Amino acid sequence: MTGPDSATIRVRLFAGLREAAGWGEQEWSIEQARSPEAVWQQLRLGGDLLTVRIAINHTFAAADQPLQAGDELAFLPPISGG
Amino acid sequence: MQHPPHLQIELLSKRFEPLKRLEQWQQQHSNAEPGTAAAEALFIGRVRAQASDGAALTALELEHYPGMTERQLNALATACSQRHGVERCLILHRIGRVLPGEAIVLVAIAADRRGPAQRCCQELLEALKHEAPFWKREWRADGNGQWITGNTPW
Repeated sequence: MTGPDSATIRVRLFAGLREAAGWGEQEWSIEQARSPEAVWQQLRLGGDLLTVRIAINHTFAAADQPLQAGDELAFLPPISGG
Repeated sequence: MQHPPHLQIELLSKRFEPLKRLEQWQQQHSNAEPGTAAAEALFIGRVRAQASDGAALTALELEHYPGMTERQLNALATACSQRHGVERCLILHRIGRVLPGEAIVLVAIAADRRGPAQRCCQELLEALKHEAPFWKREWRADGNGQWITGNTPW
């Protein structure tokens, strides 16, 4: 459970963000992914994180919420449902 | 009367007929508890034939976040239904490729009185437009597809 291989988080991107990055899902080492804002800076997708919603494990979260191994972090561009 | 609201929430990858689905929902309701929840409010949203810039639209593509979208819809419907004290809530939402004229969303609320039914229906529709992870891409006749950022005004 706590071996080096499991010390990762899953990063997910959707819609326009997914296409800008060229991928929708990646595993990141927890060392590189201490918080959503740290991951966002390394993604270098441009644009302001304030326009993007963040979810951790399917729940909306703040940009500075600490991440833990096994978390699923998602960056959600502006929502347009209905 | 203060039992938990009955929720039915579905994401549909194929075309659906809102009036047929509504009839089924009403029948389940009247069979289970005839004469209760005498007020119903409903909203049906369909895909426009024009993109947001006025160009002809060939299709709308709807992306969602499997797992989170369902969870958010459930949380929004539970909170809204309890806040207004309504009895039953139905949400059907399309995903995938939706053509102009096709239904994209159906929200129906059954309550004891018209006020709670209508308020809950409107509030839940606005909540899901802004708080449930869905993204729309407009496909045009020239083959160009553009993600929409944000919602239409009222």
